[in-house]
Amino acid sequence: MNNKINLLIAVILFISASQIRGQEWIAPADKASVSNPSEYNLANVKKGKEIYQKNCKSCHGDAGKYNALPLVPVPPDVASEIMHSNTEGGLFHKITAGKGGMPQFETTLSEDDRWRLVNYIMNYNPNVEPVLVEAPPVKAKIMASVNEVNKQVEVFAEFDNNGTFEKLADAEVIVSAKKTFGNLVIGKALTDENGRALFTIPESHIGDEEGYVKLVVALGEGYEVAALDLKSAKVGKLKEIPKLIKGGEILWSTNENIQPWLLFSYLGAVGGAWLAIGYIIFLIFRIRKYSKL
Amino acid sequence: MKSNSRRKFMKTLGTSLGVAGVVGGSSILSSCNNVESVSGDKIQLLTSSGELVEVDKSMLKPADLPSLSENQKKGREGIPGKSWVMVIDLSKCRNARKCMSACQNHHQLRPEQHHINVLQMQDAEHTAPYYMPKPCQHCDNPPCTKVCPVNATFKREDGIVLIDNERCIGCRFCIAACPYSARVFNWFEPKDADKYKGVTYNIEANVPQKKGTVSKCLFSADRLRDGKLPSCVSACPNGVYWFGDRNEDAVTNGTTQETTTFSTLIKDNAAYTLMEELGTKPRVYYLPPKDRAFPFEGEIDDHHS
Amino acid sequence: MKRIESADESRKLLDKITFDLTRSIVKKDELTYFWFFILIMFVGVGLWGWGIQINDGLGVTGMRDYVSWGMYIANFVFFVAISLIGFLLSSALHLLKIHWAKPISRVAEQVAIAGVALAGLIIVMDMGRPERLLNVFLHGRFASPIIWDVTVVTTYLTISVLLFYIPLIPDLALLRDRLGDEVPKWKITLYTILALGWKGNPMQYKTVYHAMRVLMLLIIPVGLSIHTVTSWLFAATLRSGWDTTILGPYFVAGAFVAGSAAVIMLMYAYRVRYGLKDYFEDIHFDYMGKLLVFVCLVYLYFNVNEFLVPGYKMKSAEGVHLKNLFAGSFSVMFWVVQVFGLILPLVLLLIKYFRKPLPITIISFFVLISSWFKRYLIVVPTMEHPFLPVQNVPENFHTYVPTSIEIMITLFSFFAALTIISVLAKLFPVITIWEYAEDKGIDKKYLSEKPRN
Repeated sequence: MNNKINLLIAVILFISASQIRGQEWIAPADKASVSNPSEYNLANVKKGKEIYQKNCKSCHGDAGKYNALPLVPVPPDVASEIMHSNTEGGLFHKITAGKGGMPQFETTLSEDDRWRLVNYIMNYNPNVEPVLVEAPPVKAKIMASVNEVNKQVEVFAEFDNNGTFEKLADAEVIVSAKKTFGNLVIGKALTDENGRALFTIPESHIGDEEGYVKLVVALGEGYEVAALDLKSAKVGKLKEIPKLIKGGEILWSTNENIQPWLLFSYLGAVGGAWLAIGYIIFLIFRIRKYSKL
Repeated sequence: MKSNSRRKFMKTLGTSLGVAGVVGGSSILSSCNNVESVSGDKIQLLTSSGELVEVDKSMLKPADLPSLSENQKKGREGIPGKSWVMVIDLSKCRNARKCMSACQNHHQLRPEQHHINVLQMQDAEHTAPYYMPKPCQHCDNPPCTKVCPVNATFKREDGIVLIDNERCIGCRFCIAACPYSARVFNWFEPKDADKYKGVTYNIEANVPQKKGTVSKCLFSADRLRDGKLPSCVSACPNGVYWFGDRNEDAVTNGTTQETTTFSTLIKDNAAYTLMEELGTKPRVYYLPPKDRAFPFEGEIDDHHS
Repeated sequence: MKRIESADESRKLLDKITFDLTRSIVKKDELTYFWFFILIMFVGVGLWGWGIQINDGLGVTGMRDYVSWGMYIANFVFFVAISLIGFLLSSALHLLKIHWAKPISRVAEQVAIAGVALAGLIIVMDMGRPERLLNVFLHGRFASPIIWDVTVVTTYLTISVLLFYIPLIPDLALLRDRLGDEVPKWKITLYTILALGWKGNPMQYKTVYHAMRVLMLLIIPVGLSIHTVTSWLFAATLRSGWDTTILGPYFVAGAFVAGSAAVIMLMYAYRVRYGLKDYFEDIHFDYMGKLLVFVCLVYLYFNVNEFLVPGYKMKSAEGVHLKNLFAGSFSVMFWVVQVFGLILPLVLLLIKYFRKPLPITIISFFVLISSWFKRYLIVVPTMEHPFLPVQNVPENFHTYVPTSIEIMITLFSFFAALTIISVLAKLFPVITIWEYAEDKGIDKKYLSEKPRN
């Protein structure tokens, strides 16, 4: 009996506590106290970053940039205070179990990977010495030209070396194509020592009806440069527009595309019946005429 | 919700007042919602932000507002060169129902009317339950348009199955024919009917809804014409929806705005279509609910009732 | 067939036949007025209900997005069904030279006209936008079964009216000549106009016979089409319970059962009300009983096919539907309909006693009521079980319960059909006088004689 009351009180307290706390999400104590078995080193943080880019960035945004998706509640930034009010065990638990809009990664990420993700987050903890220090973005400039014959994009990149632009080597160039609702990444290339990169558009890439593709060239992470919109170039496969509504083959189409067999059977049957009815009407007039005999 | 419908209202009104010769002023004028007073050659207009602006009367001319019949004709033709497809990633859905409410706002639906409905599914007795958003499948062999007696519902060249509510006679044969229960009927006067009285019917959004006619998902055809993703796709917070043009083999995620290759997406994830055994050839592809991002928290009720 | 040689005897018999068969037209008493008052009251109430429905929308019915066809469509199928009897009794049996059915053919035509007229009206009442009916003709899509149905209903109505009218012409002349001051003047005027100045010369008879023959042949494909096309409204969909190839003949067989029952009840009503014991004889009821047994057997055969084959396989959606019918929420209605509307009548009518007028009429009453509920069972359970779960909608979307407005409008349809039949019976003889007289051996020449008095 006493136990039951205690339990009841506990439940009430728990409910009211969770109501007072509102949006806040607290990992259970036993989970929060688990320590990270993955060592905090550059390799693990780098690996964690990779995982982050693939699985988390779409909502949480780039670390420190506070550019998360405007969801309710807003996914906290990796460098934010809310993020680091969690223990490592707490972070691991939250990644694993998820809550509300936060997915559960128990099924999609291995335990090691989830701990590495925690390693990566800890890189931004104000109380922890960062092992992966990202240099401030370098100002850069890109120029590009398209060769329609070879279906190649030639990119030339320079970076701002204290006021003078110099050739940018070993930089990642991302080539995308403008599609109806967004840019589709076609591929990536690295610049050589002359700051040049050559990218061949895959044969299978589909352009518009005449093969024109609107290419967008950008540099990979670490550079401050606006993406370069190129003029439409004839480098893609011709877009095929298969005819959906074919006349005479489909029952669901409109009268303009009606099947002749259907139309003729319908009109034949109806016409036949009403011709016979017309004949009967004619006979009625005949009966009337015969009255005068 | 209210402001949204208000904006729609103003948009329709705004298009009836066109502006000639003034660049820059057009944005103010096009959002005018009230003609305040007329004095000589000047006219005062109230903008949507509450400002009163005075403009020369000669700047105003009746816009070439497409008439109802032109509107209907345009709606029947579709968007040239496109072939719309939707991919729904079932592993990402957590039943947030933002798609449902965005859709109901856009299409002025009553709360019990769903153009898109998030269903709680379980395929067999011991299999895992999952959430399944179910819009109209925009079949390439649509059973619904087959049976329409007056050609009020029809298939467009861009793949969308649309309804002309100015022609629909309300026989509900299409509702009976649709195996996906995708169609709804306006059993009563539609929501906010008084508010939208006199607004020209927009066939590509099915608004204003008409009493006694059938309504259904149309991939927000009006938004597609403006280059925007459908309402449900944009509203999803969990990256469930991908939408795009099959002809250019690219689909864009409504949440992350990421664009990917359609064929790769459906191949790599073993996509399927709903009840493909019926031969309806849907345009909505489902990615299986494997490795779910969110646990299933709903209650599965009897599958078939 | 024996011929009566004596002119006197012929005239006397003809006078008696004419007197008996025009009693329905001449008779006027309180009961007639009361009957028409009841009819008009119910028709009025039903039309008022329709007014409410047009004003407030179809939401006043129990139908919702999942069960979007309800009582109206069931009722439509029912009326199409009973109308088919016109084709069986006044055409098929005539062409097969089965003579006993001759006096019944006009009763069957009355049922056919009333049934098909109401079927057409009900489908308009089921529309969400009845004022857009013209769209069906302006924008008709030839590939839609509804267009086929509209076409075939209008065609069948026209043929039924003609098949009612053509054999009526000699009778109309008879009425014109013989019903002097017994009936109001407007009726005589009506008969005069419709009789087309009938003289009864051989050319006219020849034309009437010819026209009847053409119509009887024509009504066979049209009659079969109307019910087959109606079944296609269901069979053309993918839904479990409707998605079956035998639905066409299944509907036709069921239609004969319902129509025969309706005709038997009407025969009995005329026999009692207008004292036509010698015209709707016991033998006619006996034959109708045998006919009902025969069509019930055919229907039973189709029922076995319709339920046993899918029941054997129990495919997922089909299985849910069948379980619901056999043991679920519709099981009581289903088994009552099968037992009282099919099996019990079939067994009882094998016994001679039950083919006597009163017992067979009572049995027919149960058959007719059951066949209405049978149509309800065809329409509603299938719609309550779509392929995908019914979720996120109010509770009243899940199951269908007809509302009072729907019941009002359905009652309207019954009474409107009875009104059409009653008006036809009050205007025209319920049995073709000239054919009947001829069968009794009276020469045609006496028919066109003016009465002697």
